[in-house]
Amino acid sequence: MKIFERIKNYRWFIKLSFILAVIGPGIIAANADNDAGGITTYSIAGAHFGTKMLWVLFLITFSLAVTQEMGVRIGIVTRQGLGGVIRENFGLRWTAFAMLLMLVANIGTITAEFAGVAAAFSIFGWSKYLVVPLSALAVWFILFKGSFKTTQKVFLLFSFFYIVYIINGFVIGPDFGAALKSLVTPTIEWTTPFLVTMIALIGTTITPWGQFFIQSYVVDKGLDIKHYRTERWEVFIGAFITDIVSFFIIISTAATLYKHGIRISDAKDAAIALQPLAGHLAQLLFAFGLFVASMLGAFILPAATAYAICEAFGWENGFDTTWKNGKIFYGIILACIAVPALIVLLPRISLIKIMILSQDVNGILLPFILLFVMKIINDKRIMGEYTNKLLGNVIAWLTIVGILTATACLIVASFMGLN
Amino acid sequence: MLYLSQTLNSRVEDNANARIGRLKDILVEIKPGAYSPLAFLLVRNKKGDDLFIPFDYCENLSPHLVSLKASFEKITLATPSNNCIYLNRDVLDQQIVDVDGARVVRVNDISLGIFENKMCVLGVDVSFKGILRRLGFEWVDVFGWAKVHLIDWRKTQSVKGVLKLDTISKDLTKLHPADLANIVEDLNFHYGTKLVNTLGSKEAAKVLEEINPHLQKILIKHLGPEKATRIIEKMSVDEIADLMQLFSQREAQKYLSLLQEAKSKKVEKLIRYEDDSAGGLMNSDFITAKPEWTAVEAIEEIRLHSPNMRSIMFIYVTDETGKLLGPISLRNLLLAKDDQKLSTLYKSADKLAVLKPHYSLEKIVNIMTKYDLFSAAVINGGGRIVGIVTIDDVMRCLAPKA
Repeated sequence: MKIFERIKNYRWFIKLSFILAVIGPGIIAANADNDAGGITTYSIAGAHFGTKMLWVLFLITFSLAVTQEMGVRIGIVTRQGLGGVIRENFGLRWTAFAMLLMLVANIGTITAEFAGVAAAFSIFGWSKYLVVPLSALAVWFILFKGSFKTTQKVFLLFSFFYIVYIINGFVIGPDFGAALKSLVTPTIEWTTPFLVTMIALIGTTITPWGQFFIQSYVVDKGLDIKHYRTERWEVFIGAFITDIVSFFIIISTAATLYKHGIRISDAKDAAIALQPLAGHLAQLLFAFGLFVASMLGAFILPAATAYAICEAFGWENGFDTTWKNGKIFYGIILACIAVPALIVLLPRISLIKIMILSQDVNGILLPFILLFVMKIINDKRIMGEYTNKLLGNVIAWLTIVGILTATACLIVASFMGLN
Repeated sequence: MLYLSQTLNSRVEDNANARIGRLKDILVEIKPGAYSPLAFLLVRNKKGDDLFIPFDYCENLSPHLVSLKASFEKITLATPSNNCIYLNRDVLDQQIVDVDGARVVRVNDISLGIFENKMCVLGVDVSFKGILRRLGFEWVDVFGWAKVHLIDWRKTQSVKGVLKLDTISKDLTKLHPADLANIVEDLNFHYGTKLVNTLGSKEAAKVLEEINPHLQKILIKHLGPEKATRIIEKMSVDEIADLMQLFSQREAQKYLSLLQEAKSKKVEKLIRYEDDSAGGLMNSDFITAKPEWTAVEAIEEIRLHSPNMRSIMFIYVTDETGKLLGPISLRNLLLAKDDQKLSTLYKSADKLAVLKPHYSLEKIVNIMTKYDLFSAAVINGGGRIVGIVTIDDVMRCLAPKA
């Protein structure tokens, strides 16, 4: 005890505790990006197109870092969630618009999470009609009876499982030289599948909900402007780590599936990528990872959605409100669990397709949310001296324009039937 | 009924129907406990200049059109006083305190109307109906399920814009500290801090005691050492001890060194105990007396110490070494004859339930429930009284979310 007390007063300990106090938002938000939609999208990007999409990943790493950093900054300065800031500065109509976009994107993502659960268990031949309702109930139960914080930590810990992809990558020993070259060599195929996957890749890495999530995380933690410098680095590191994992998922699938021309039509196929490391345990490992990542998203997102909407519209929120006062809050959570679960339960629906398309929805809606963020972050009345610098603005605008262009190309391509 | 949202962006014309610009905001002067009369119209002309037109010039305020009594040349523009708040900028879409309901709400619309021959702000609309109206979706509510819910303007407290002592609603400061604490928790942090800042140190201390630990810590850090110390000083010792445990030792030392020495000593003593034990829960708001004192002398002692104590239910009789002989309830003290010695009044501590510092919460609850105690003395190994645990400290541990 005494020793600990003394340690507490050392300079390095103070520094370390300062860093530990800040750690969380950036790395957690970034890590939660590797959810069911994420792993599926990266796997498909690698399996169907090899390393051709790595350059997109390289570019959006910067986009992710910049957009998340902006969320942190808005959170620190305004001490308010994104929903609240939009409401107070853009009025009710724009708020309703932004909230609708977020709701659609989030329901899409939650659907992907439940599809992920179903896909994970389909590896063992378990029926989705059993596992999806069960996991929906589990999410509901954890949210209402359990501790949100503890559960979140447990799942986050599990989700570090994706590090196995990095090890796996080294076990395969793919052509790193070629991979690095693809990182900086833009290649594009003017076909619908390529564009669909590309937009999904962007939409799963930078997400509307991630923007809301990191900001409210910063607000809840009560971070001050003095934490900003440390926090910014944490965000950058978080973005880098996420995309390192994504990079290895892509090169793993590229070196295994793409090489042998195997297309991913269900989770079993995607699991093959882990065979070099895990051998016949690959399926088990993949199923486990997919399951925990899906559950993490499935239970963060409904609550996060309800918090954001209630904040914007001024409805009572939080799990300590009574059912009577918090009707809307609980209603949104319930809907965010039930609707996605029901979609996944539709007969003959392709789980992989759900996971990819939901990320497309996210990618297509993302620019609109980013436009709000850009308007806020460049407003001196809101941000004071903490408005964006030129470089941040350039990267953010390029991201917005890039996604909009890709979406436009996708629409044109699908009309022209370029498959 | 006229709503602010209907008038915003309306055309503003003078008496010759010449167009001046569009209505961007309406300013009112805040007086607590009154419907605020409209003071200025903020009109933006074509060049993008903002003009403040005194509301006396306004002939008619209606949706789509605002007409003025005079021609534009004859209007003397003015600069609004610092006491004005902007309805659109500071109130609409912002958080506001519903004082009667002791909660924080978001303003969906503001209702305007005539009161004592003046156009005034009458209330704020916080209902779903207000949202539908502003979105232009009122037709959705075909069955009329959505009801307008207006909160009386006099019973609200805006938090953005001016927030000075003379603009704070009296009803707000009369709220129970626990309710005020809930409001501070629900408000955006900036406005919560502002609200705490406008309270007197003593009030602020009571509010701070009721705020959840996480926010307590952030608030104290944000208030700055000077203001924070003034508030902490007014808090009770056990609450300070709990608060200090949230900080690192170095930070806690910093705050403690700013307190009066006697108080910081007491706090340091408490910090050594576990949170959920009698030692951690107890406070030192108790009065001791000597057995040879008379009842009158004891009551005089209570008068002397009362201003510094949260509640007094017992007076504790101790011998010259400080060993607890026993408690006397205020009731028995009042009923006693003036010159009756305390030695004949107290109930012997041996037969009574007393707590030891290491007792767990569960044990404390059992003892206090069994013996129907509102407060119980905590004695150390030598039988000296070191503090008391009151029922409210116990309840807070049992229902931390309330």
